[in-house]
Amino acid sequence: MAAKEFRERLHKALNNASLRGALERFADSYIISREEVYRGKDFAALREKIAAIKGDAAGRYEELAAQFTRAVEARGGKVFRAHDAAAAREYIYQVAKEHGVTDVVKSKSFASEEIHLNEYLQERGITPHETDLAEWILQLMPGERPSHMVMPAIHLPKEEVARVFSRYLGEPVEPDIKNMVRIARRELRKKFLTAGMGISGANIAVAETGTIVICTNEGNARLATTVPPVHVAIVGYEKLVPKLKDIVPILEALPRSGTAQPITSYVTMITGPVPARKGDGEGIKELHVVLLDNGRTRMAADPVFKEALQCIRCASCTNVCPVFQLVSGQVYGYIYSGGIGSILTAFFNSLEDAADPQSLCIGCRRCAEVCPAKINIPDLVLKLRERVVEKQGLSRAYRIALHGVVAKPRLMHTMLRAASRLQGPVTHGRPFIRHLPLYFSSFTEGRSLPAIARVPLRDRVKNLEGALRKSRLRAAFYSGCVIDFVYPEIGEAVYKVLGREGVEVTFPQGQACCGAPAIYAGDRETAVSLAKLNIAALEEAKADVIVTACPTCAVALKKNFIELLAGDPAWEGRAKDLAARVKDFTQLVHELKKSEGSAPEGKGRDRGIVKVTYHDSCHFKRHLGLDRAAREVLTSQPGIELVEMRESDRCCGFGGSYSVKYPEISRPILERKLKNIMASGAEIVATDCPGCILQLRGGLDQTGSDIQVKHTAEILANKD
Amino acid sequence: MAQEDLIAAFTRQAGVMGAQILPVEGRRELGKALAEALKPCGRRAALFASPLVRETNLEEALTAAGFTVEKDGPDFAREADVGIVEFDYGIAETGTLAMDATALKARLAAMLPLTCVALLRTKRIRANLTEVIEAYLERGSWPGYFTLVTGPSRTADIERSLTIGVHGPERLLIVLVGDEGGDDRGR
Repeated sequence: MAAKEFRERLHKALNNASLRGALERFADSYIISREEVYRGKDFAALREKIAAIKGDAAGRYEELAAQFTRAVEARGGKVFRAHDAAAAREYIYQVAKEHGVTDVVKSKSFASEEIHLNEYLQERGITPHETDLAEWILQLMPGERPSHMVMPAIHLPKEEVARVFSRYLGEPVEPDIKNMVRIARRELRKKFLTAGMGISGANIAVAETGTIVICTNEGNARLATTVPPVHVAIVGYEKLVPKLKDIVPILEALPRSGTAQPITSYVTMITGPVPARKGDGEGIKELHVVLLDNGRTRMAADPVFKEALQCIRCASCTNVCPVFQLVSGQVYGYIYSGGIGSILTAFFNSLEDAADPQSLCIGCRRCAEVCPAKINIPDLVLKLRERVVEKQGLSRAYRIALHGVVAKPRLMHTMLRAASRLQGPVTHGRPFIRHLPLYFSSFTEGRSLPAIARVPLRDRVKNLEGALRKSRLRAAFYSGCVIDFVYPEIGEAVYKVLGREGVEVTFPQGQACCGAPAIYAGDRETAVSLAKLNIAALEEAKADVIVTACPTCAVALKKNFIELLAGDPAWEGRAKDLAARVKDFTQLVHELKKSEGSAPEGKGRDRGIVKVTYHDSCHFKRHLGLDRAAREVLTSQPGIELVEMRESDRCCGFGGSYSVKYPEISRPILERKLKNIMASGAEIVATDCPGCILQLRGGLDQTGSDIQVKHTAEILANKD
Repeated sequence: MAQEDLIAAFTRQAGVMGAQILPVEGRRELGKALAEALKPCGRRAALFASPLVRETNLEEALTAAGFTVEKDGPDFAREADVGIVEFDYGIAETGTLAMDATALKARLAAMLPLTCVALLRTKRIRANLTEVIEAYLERGSWPGYFTLVTGPSRTADIERSLTIGVHGPERLLIVLVGDEGGDDRGR
């Protein structure tokens, strides 16, 4: 897809108010109902089970497919293994032709969309009728596409549906939902009763028994597989599971995660051909199962992406995705949308087709938290990004920024120092850049940018590093670029608090950017060279612990370095040693205070109580798992009242360079965060990520709010 | 869990999922109670013969109450107002009905009419889906067409507004037959 077309689609979706409203309302209620429907269930255990079943199956599709085929054939059905979309289409068409079929009823099948079956049949004189209500509505609207995997027509207001129905019936139809559903029942019943063939998808296929399992709420799959004399089921290889009992955990999770129902109204399990009406009497139905490969076995053979085949297509990843809620599935361009969709598209379509969709991921990791198949979607998206970059190369601007500057710390530091002197004209002496000139203007729409500090932390540390009378611990502070050059005061706060706790802190001057911007841009080469640079610099400090105050840096040091240097005999061990010593600042304070036996803090003097609300940074909560530790540290501080905001763990829209690449997405995500912050009634927002601070301060500055945003370290430092 | 607890849990959950429950104490009362309950639903009933239907003389009872009972024919259940089918098991956890629906008429009677009457012996209620799958596996060959039904047909495809009865029944009446007869392991 052309990048221009992608942008156009993105802007069209962002400007569609009714779509946005519908998606937001859905997503809000979904989060609550999902929680309710899982109450009493051990979600962690359930997803372990599903991941194990599906992961194991993905390792032996050939064996399972053979077993499945034997079972279906033993009952008298036929199985056709389709290598690609073209083979599947042709086979289905031949079956229809053989039976002189003119009309087909279809029960929602993404696989059939994937192989573009409708167009193919139509061109050959066979009319396919979608029977899922939403799919049927969309079918009656040429040019319209599904916007969601589970609720494809969620973007259409009822008035629009009424117009579609009026046109179809040639008579006026009122926008009354109950009545429109009745019309659909009446019209589609005629199709069910006269169609010569039914086509369905499958949610699960059981190798042991040759059973295909189909879940629906409307009941259209039951009719499509019962009334017409021929049934064709299109089943992707990834639907295979070994045993009948394997369906239980999947059936427990699929509806709960998909639509927050304990079970769908109907679960239909078909094993071989069954009796059907034939002519005036009863005969045996013809059953064809098309096992569709179309990139799936290639994916299964890929050690990295195999995991994505665990997907059970519940779409919960998109339901919680702050980006999806804004842009909808229509923007992703292909059949499967959202983060997981971009991964599937890369294999079922092509890497090129996945290039734009994958770039929409902001990396908040909310999807990984809810995925019932325990797929690490955000990490897979990053791997995909790496492959896109390998194949297509970085854009010119990125190449210059990453290879030319970030990879060369000395040059970057010189440029940052120069920028701090040159920024006068845009900051007007204030600590914010409210508007950037010319083509940078979109960077500051809805968010002010911070100014570069006049003196970076690396130059200030000389005054901070005094010998302690008795030190409990030697720590090296890894500040990361934002603290170093934008918010050195956070670094000073870290020194102050740790000093008070008896920790001796040093600042290894050789430290460079952690490489996160390169990692998230798919630039592995720059990331690897920065990892080595940092490991060497931090080893020199000979510290017991490496302290960070930026969760993104912490993740880079703790996790990414090991991955980047895996298999490199000279570096792998060093990366692991370093990772084991990395500790987030707030985590360290939490541990030190605990080991002190939670000595009561001095009274809060007479400063009164300050209302503080806490913003969970994505990496801090979902990678480091420190959300509770941070709250405990804050509440143990006298003079602070912690008030929770709504959706405290929802992304603020920063995402590093994401906010520069997609300001039009970053901005509305930020706006929602700001609304929640303001509604909390807090005077201060505490958070543990300098990136979030940059985003939140910038946003609050532009709204004129006097709510302060502070790093936990700054709040702790100011206590006396 | 004791059977009474399973029945209570099933009744509660099936209600939550939108089914109506009609408890019938003994088999003899079934015909009368059902005829009474079905009065507002229309007079044409498609009836799938099953042991419980035969044991309770359901056809006679319905005919006597003025119903037209359809049992066969190429258009079976297409025009009926009510479809009456016996289900094999109930699942307490989700309020779900389970049936070996390989017989075509069992399927059609349960799918096509606007009202579906599901007859279920209370002693056939199990705790969860795993137990039900095990029960079928014990009986030997896995059914050709196995069906789980939970509440009436529903859609939320237009503006997420929950609407009942799109392709399947808009009313699911579960008749819980608490009785002495019949086996508790399958038809």
